Formats: sequence, C-alpha cells, structure tokens
Amino acid sequence: MGVVLLSGWSYWFSGVETGPYQFVYPANFGNRINIPPDNPTTKQGVYLGRMLFYEKMLSLTNTISCSGCHQQAKAFTDGMTLSKGVDDVLSSRNAMSLTNLLWTRKFFWDGRAASLEEQAVFPLTNPHEMGQMLDVSAHKLSETNEYPALFKLVFGDDKITPDRVAKALAQFERTLISCNSKYDQYLKDTYKPTQEELNGMALFMNGPDPEKGIRGGNCAHCHGGVKNYMELFHNNGLDSIPKDVGIEALTGLSSDKGRFKAPTLRNIALTAPYMHDGRFKTLNEVVDHYSDHIEESASLSSFIRGESNDKGGKSLNLRPQEKKELIAFLNMLTDSTFIADPRFSDPHLSTSLNKTKNTSK
Amino acid sequence: MKKLLTVILLTISGLSRFTATNAQSTEKQATVKVSGEVITPLEIKLTDLQQFPQTEVVRKERDGKDHTYSGVILATILQKAGVTLGKDLRGENLTKYVKVEASDGYQVIFALAELDEDFTDRTIILAIQVDGNPLAAGDGPFRIIVQDEKKPARCIKQVTAIKIEFAK
Repeated sequence: MGVVLLSGWSYWFSGVETGPYQFVYPANFGNRINIPPDNPTTKQGVYLGRMLFYEKMLSLTNTISCSGCHQQAKAFTDGMTLSKGVDDVLSSRNAMSLTNLLWTRKFFWDGRAASLEEQAVFPLTNPHEMGQMLDVSAHKLSETNEYPALFKLVFGDDKITPDRVAKALAQFERTLISCNSKYDQYLKDTYKPTQEELNGMALFMNGPDPEKGIRGGNCAHCHGGVKNYMELFHNNGLDSIPKDVGIEALTGLSSDKGRFKAPTLRNIALTAPYMHDGRFKTLNEVVDHYSDHIEESASLSSFIRGESNDKGGKSLNLRPQEKKELIAFLNMLTDSTFIADPRFSDPHLSTSLNKTKNTSK
Repeated sequence: MKKLLTVILLTISGLSRFTATNAQSTEKQATVKVSGEVITPLEIKLTDLQQFPQTEVVRKERDGKDHTYSGVILATILQKAGVTLGKDLRGENLTKYVKVEASDGYQVIFALAELDEDFTDRTIILAIQVDGNPLAAGDGPFRIIVQDEKKPARCIKQVTAIKIEFAK
C-alpha cells in the first residue's frame, strides 16, 4: 500500500493511492459478491476506472462518457426515457441505475452479461451509444500524457488494451455501493420510520391475502431483501403484445416474452422515468400500473397474475391512501450520501480546478 | 360500435392464429441443462424425461388441496449425467451441492446427499405433470417437487438448469 507519484502528470494531482481496495458494506448485504478472479480490485484500478468512467475520449465524437447516461446526482441514471448516443439516435432501452453492482451477476435489462467487464463493452461500442471500437479508444488513450503511466500503475506495464479499459471501468463501478438510505438506517435501528412509511413497508412486504384480511402490494417478491434487489426477471404486465420482447430475443422461448430484470429499487425516487422503456414518468404511475393496469399475456409473471386485495379480484386494487404509503416507503430507499459521495464524482472536474489554481500561481 | 366489434374480432382471430403457431412443434422448446461436477453434461427435453420411469409425489398447494405431481426422481437424472451418488457419495463428495435455476433467475440448492436414497426416503422429483396434465405455463414445463417439505420455496418452477458444484 502506498502513494505513487506520476511524473509529468503530478502537476494536477499529487498522487494515486495503491494497494488492495477494501469494500465497506453492511454485514446484512452478504458476501455473495461478483469479482472475476483475473480482475482483483485495487485502489489504483478504481482510480483509473473512475477517470475512464468520466472520459469523453472513449466516445467516437469525444463528447460522451459513461457518465452521460449515468449521472451520480440521479443515482447514475440520466432522467431520460431513452438516451441519445453519438449518432443522435435513441437507445432501445432506459439507462439503468448503477448501484450495488458488486453483488450483481446478470447485467442489463435482459441479463445478457455475466460481469461488468463484459457489460462495459456494449455501451462503449454500440453505434447508438458511445460508438467507438475499443482498440480505437485504447489507441486514443495511449497518445495522452497521463493514461499510459496510470495503466502501468494498475496493470504492471503501460500497454493500453480493450480488456484493460473494461477491467478498470469494472473496478470503479464495483465501488458504487449504496447502503445509507433511511431503510438501511431503519434496519440498523438508527432511524424510526413515520407511520406512513411503516404502513408502506408492510404493503411492500406483504402479498395480498383477502381471506385473511392481509392487504399487500407483493413488491418484495421481486424487489425484497436488504438490497431491494433479487436478480429476478419477469414479465410485469406492461403489454399483452410487447414491442420489445425482452429475454425472448436471447432464448427464443415464448415463456420469456416481455421478460425483463426486476431492477434494484435503491434510489428509485431519483431514477425516473421507469421501466425498460421509460414509459412511466412518476412513481405514482408505476404504482398505478401494478395496482390497476396489468396486461394479461401467456408469459405474465405468476407472481402478478391473479394477485388481488379483493376476494376474486383481478388486480391488486390498492386504495389511494395505500398507494401514498407505498410511495412513502419507496422514498425511504433514497441514499443521499451515495449521490453526493465525492469518491464517485467526476475526477476531471477537480483536476481542472487544480489546473486553474496552478496556472494562477 | 361496429368498428370496435370488428377490431375485437380481428384481435381474437389474430390471437387464435398466434395460439395455433404456438402449438406447432417448430417453436423452440424449453430444456434443462445438467452441468458442473458431472461426467456427461445433459440437455434434457420434455420428450427425454418421458422416457424415464415416472414417480408420483403428492403435495398440498396454496389452494389447500392435495395435488399429484409426476416426473422423474432427480437422482435418476443426475446418475445419468454421472454424478457421484450411491456408493460414490462419500468423502469430499459430501461437500457437493445441486444448484437449480429457474428461467426467472431464481436459484435454490440441495445438498447432494438430500437427493440420495441411501440417505433419505424423501423423494425429490423433476415434475412434468400435475394431476395428469402438463404443468401450467407459469410453473413448467419442469418443476422440482420436494416431498413433505413444509415451505414451497424449493419447489422451484420453470427449471432451466441444474448444476452440481463443490462447496468452496
């Protein structure tokens, strides 16, 4: 462990910490983490990954970095229904929040990538996203003053390769841990929820059982657990005939039609609009959907079909007050320290400030 | 109103065409992959399972009624793949587990010894029928049924993969 000075670059930062990166997270998050054996996380790797995450050179037009669609203030989403890439064409799906990826094993709305290393290649090279072949990106970085030295610090020599770019990005993204929402604090017994939040929590956790008089939203079936994420993929009744067939496009199985990831609900109040196609602008619309507007189809999730708070009912039929309570609970999942954590912010901004300071001396 | 009716009729005829296509055997069929600590990896189709001896297990479902599931004893399938069961289930092989995955990503595990008839009389099958009919679309075509287990959580539905691994 130590601090390494990079000559020729140290005029705009004093040094990079080196050594193994220690992840810090609550014990109840569990240790089923996903780090490939050939990409152990180091402090210097995370540093480089953060530089690259905010590096516009990785796009064809030098105008877009990963952070274009994954903005920290919005829990690493972009607030758009669909996102514009380098060719001004809209992406086919809504930009996903980047949070607690250390535990994620299936990436994207359809779960097609098994690691962040594998995942990163898609947006970097997709012509409607950053649109640049990785060897071109590697070449551009190798012509800078600063990056070869950083790659040497992380990987042992100054060769910049597509594989190393993806590895460094993955290391940084694994550090994006959100564990300080009011809900986390409640689980640690350091926050006392309001009555409205408690009612919402009960609705969130319970499946409806009108025979026993239990009212519920059945949300935890797919979004439960301390991380509000269970890595499940379901057709949640958005359309009877979906335009985007989801996982069916990968498997060819009709039972996978309209099936998408049930994403984490961490920071859900910050990540509008919602669903794989960003069709819902607000949480109200989302809750209304699950309560009142499920579209039947053969591949509709059996967790959703026929679940109702009314005997013999066809939909959840939550009351207006209950919807309000559910949304109060969803707001408990907002982690304001996560979105303000300086370790996740744009390092180029602080360095350009330093630059200004240096030149004014 | 007439226009609306026409639309509905068109939709219905469209749907029935859709169903007809579904029923054809050209559509891709679900399978179960058996992999991991095996001698022979398998990819099993419904028709393959029908070739095995069928075993029945009765379970009470959420509707409060008993239902008769039939399918193949899981250990029989694993034996076909060359998994260490029976006399080979000893020593380090007792640290093996069976990870079952569903099409929605849900996973459950069984210790390998939970499946072996030398260890237990409890039957665990990969079911393909309930009460003489194919499983419902949301449950099948393959579902694990664990005899007498109180919670249904390991009676995993829509099974797509079975992987045998060593506990690390």
